[in-house]
Amino acid sequence: MNEIEYLGEHLWVGTVGHLSIIMGFVASLFTAFTYYRCTQTRGTEPSDGWRTLGRIGWMVHSVCVFSLFGVILYAMSQYYYEYQYVQAHVSDDLPMRYILSAFWEGQEGSFMLWMIWHAVLGMFVWRRDYKWESPVLAVVVLINAVIFSMLLGLYVDFGDTVFKIGANPTLLLRNVLELPLFMNADYTSLITGNGLNPLLQNYWMTIHPPMLFLGFASTAFPFAFAIAGLWTGDHKGWLKPATNWSLFSAGVLGTGILMGAIWAYEALSFGGYWAWDPVENASLVPWMLLVAGVHTHLIARNSGYAIRSTYLFYILTFVFILYSTYLTRSGVLGETSVHAFTEMGLGYQLVFFVLFFLLLGIFLYIYRYKSIPAPEREENIKSREFWMFIGSLVLMFGGFLIISSTSLPVFNKIATYFNEDYIGRVIEDPIEHFNKFQLWIAVFISILSSVAIYLRYGSKQRKWSRITKHILIAAVIAAVLTYLLTFWISYKGAWQYTLLTFFGLFAMVANVDYIFTQTKNDIRLSSSAVAHFGFGAMMLGIITSGLNQSFISNNPFVFGESMDDVSRKRSIVLIKGEPLYSEGHFITWQSDTLIANMRHYDINFKKIDEERNVLEEWNLRPNAVYANDFSKISAFNPDTRHKWHEDIFTCILNLSPPMMSQEQLKEMEDTLVYNTYYANVGDTIRGLENDIVIERLSYEPSHPEYNPADNDFGVSLVTSFYNRESKKDSTVETSLGLRGPLVYKYPEKIESFGVRVRPADTLMNMIFPIETDLVYIPYKTTLGSSFTVDGTTIELVELNNKPAKTSYKPEDGDIAIEARLKVTRNGISYPATPTYVIRGNIPMSIKHYIPQTGTHIRFSNIDPINETFGFKVAQQSTELPPLAIEVAEKVTRSDLLLLEAKIFPGINIFWSGTIMMMMGLLMAWLLRVFYKSDRDRKQKKES
Amino acid sequence: MKSSYIIALVLILVSIGIFISASADVSTYATFGTAITSQSRVKIAGTLDKNKTMEYDPTVDADRFVFHMSDSDGVSNKVILQKPKPQDFERSEQIVLTGAMENDVFVADEILMKCPSKYKEEEIALRK
Repeated sequence: MNEIEYLGEHLWVGTVGHLSIIMGFVASLFTAFTYYRCTQTRGTEPSDGWRTLGRIGWMVHSVCVFSLFGVILYAMSQYYYEYQYVQAHVSDDLPMRYILSAFWEGQEGSFMLWMIWHAVLGMFVWRRDYKWESPVLAVVVLINAVIFSMLLGLYVDFGDTVFKIGANPTLLLRNVLELPLFMNADYTSLITGNGLNPLLQNYWMTIHPPMLFLGFASTAFPFAFAIAGLWTGDHKGWLKPATNWSLFSAGVLGTGILMGAIWAYEALSFGGYWAWDPVENASLVPWMLLVAGVHTHLIARNSGYAIRSTYLFYILTFVFILYSTYLTRSGVLGETSVHAFTEMGLGYQLVFFVLFFLLLGIFLYIYRYKSIPAPEREENIKSREFWMFIGSLVLMFGGFLIISSTSLPVFNKIATYFNEDYIGRVIEDPIEHFNKFQLWIAVFISILSSVAIYLRYGSKQRKWSRITKHILIAAVIAAVLTYLLTFWISYKGAWQYTLLTFFGLFAMVANVDYIFTQTKNDIRLSSSAVAHFGFGAMMLGIITSGLNQSFISNNPFVFGESMDDVSRKRSIVLIKGEPLYSEGHFITWQSDTLIANMRHYDINFKKIDEERNVLEEWNLRPNAVYANDFSKISAFNPDTRHKWHEDIFTCILNLSPPMMSQEQLKEMEDTLVYNTYYANVGDTIRGLENDIVIERLSYEPSHPEYNPADNDFGVSLVTSFYNRESKKDSTVETSLGLRGPLVYKYPEKIESFGVRVRPADTLMNMIFPIETDLVYIPYKTTLGSSFTVDGTTIELVELNNKPAKTSYKPEDGDIAIEARLKVTRNGISYPATPTYVIRGNIPMSIKHYIPQTGTHIRFSNIDPINETFGFKVAQQSTELPPLAIEVAEKVTRSDLLLLEAKIFPGINIFWSGTIMMMMGLLMAWLLRVFYKSDRDRKQKKES
Repeated sequence: MKSSYIIALVLILVSIGIFISASADVSTYATFGTAITSQSRVKIAGTLDKNKTMEYDPTVDADRFVFHMSDSDGVSNKVILQKPKPQDFERSEQIVLTGAMENDVFVADEILMKCPSKYKEEEIALRK
């Protein structure tokens, strides 16, 4: 078979991309090796040579990372569909602003994003830490080598089984799929892409992944420093340069997770910010371990204790980041997660990724265990480090609890290896399960993060009385606030929630007190208090917005088999234009508008008091997103009204089936039963539920979808309906259009009467008779003269050799002359323009029909000698026959939507709390990097 | 003895306690058969029985969707889901329901569906 010479492919993209992957992989391994040698030979002369080589390798690897990113992004922005990755993620109609989102929608794209951050962050180590450059970057570049291997796309035979190493994002579509389409050399001009999932088409998808992956990538640095410390045996030296990295990483990773929560709350239909979904848990656990590590790190720097645990925390943080990658990308979570993640078939490779770095870390840790300094003094239970350490253990403990429950599918998978009949275990009610245990973790953290701040490092402690005074005052204030809050929110009668609220408030009060009474205006000391205050506020926010969320939408009409579960009915059905009362509100679906691929629904809320006075009124606009080809609605987006003390969240859950997809609309149309009625204008037809009157016949349809330019002829029936039950009436206009030989119908509906109406097919024949039924009589006339046919006067006004009639479609070589006529009947004149055409020596006449006068006119010949013009005219009776109309009644309404409306009280407390936690971490980092206190300057001068 | 050891011991004891109590939250996927005998709240995994009709009329009750599901033993049973009909329900490959048997009907209030991912679709959209 001959190779097909394909047209329109841009093969250089694949060449550059693939080269970047291979070179990048090799360069990463090379750099890891040279930096390894540089570290091993440290202090000797060859070390500098290795360092230079390492730096060159690092630069090459970075260039490869960026060029790979660049070419793929370029191919996406140019819609090069010959590439499988481009075809899978963009489409012709995808706006340019979503190109980045489309880039990291796929796993390959997110791997690239991850590598880029490693490459960028690594430059800072190079710039700032000469001593730690080689061991730290050796580890980081090794991580990038493993990620590069995920993109290699190699197939390796191991006996009978073939292992796939990586998935290459630069493959051509025709190399991935076998389709007859590729027999066509010009296939690229035929195909378009699948496009970005409409759910992900919002700006969160543009900003959330880079932030989260910056968080992921940054955890590699505390890890790399820890490995470097173990490797070089300098167990104390790495602590100082690594502090900034771990603070930065904890702040950024936390912000990334938080942005995910805001995204879920603001733009997705979940109706909440945290659902203990495995994917959420998988990123939360490394963050908890990292925060535990940050605390032991501070202990280590201030007291020399806890270096061992700091090592462990940083190793585990990174390993759990990798583990989360495994969980979310290997498909192992299966049906336990709502996140629709795609599988790349790289499960084994991901397991290798996790185990490799786990074993590397654990091996080095055990190898160096004895040499890690661990002071043998009795710890002072009155010291700050003791309680900080306990806090870190509690955090780790909480993290382990979460990850073990989340890992059930992994245990199940392992168990089935050993026993094929093993039946997998699941958690029955995950949200309750997690809340039940994490509540206690939160209580302990609240206590520790407020009591421990009053203590000092080491054994020189203040008197207990001074500490207890602060603690007692904070506790009393917190207790009073806990009580006062009951006027606003409820603890649902559960002492656990009351307790959590109390300790949340206690943490807030104590940390405020700490900032004002203990920090002595040293801003660096207050960053921890900001974070701890934020934690307390977050707990309070969870109680107000989570425990106390309530539904405005409460289905009052619930029937069914299970009456005891009424509380679960949390949605209401709205009928367009009809206000519905629910939980103190009148809710009305007023209108809806289609903008681009979203339909926006205007929902009006009126809050009323007992006397039905309107207290407050507002509008919300949730929307429905159509699939890229408009065949169905693929997602709903919520809209939220933000008030300072609460949010009102609204989301559409469902529409009536015919509005959800074309397929269901057609299905419904097919089941409708239309009755055909014949009636004269003004007669009353007695329908099943309505009295129907055809008010008039119009030759200028005003149906919104009817476009005169596309049609040769149109007619519409203005029809009124009187609903006998509701005693209301309504008038609609339903139309027919003739386009060439095709008849188009423009049906109408009155949802509230359950009515669908359309003109009958025969109507077109009545108004526009079949040509063969007509009797034409020839006439001759001259320019400016007129003649009369059955009471209709026809005057030839002028001739025009450039006809513009819609039914005349010019072809090359045509000679066409249009007669401009003035046709008068009963004193009313209409213009008419029949056309005479000679096409290839054959004369043709294109007729003009004036429905109002019932006159059909053909321009039949031209006598140039006598200057006479022949017309053939058929004049119908102007008496209209009874008109045919088709009506379907008792039709199920399709203007329904299912709405959820929720109140989140005090959700801003939750958001401010979480934001302050991240701010506290990032503040600590920024102050260390940029702010030098007087004491620091003095110290620097002395040294 | 260091006080941190005491704390560590306490934590270990607490964790054993928690793991024991947490194991109560864990169960296997039930079948309709076991759900009838246990009469408690269970999770059942299965597939949509496409031979039986589905019933959903939001005008009557938006939170009531009736369909039939076949469990892992191949037993088909009537299910009442107390939620709106999920999107793309017909396309689901696997369904996981949480609920309990009431008479002969499984009444569920939670549903998770696994749908075929876009990668598996070997369909290339052509330009119109």
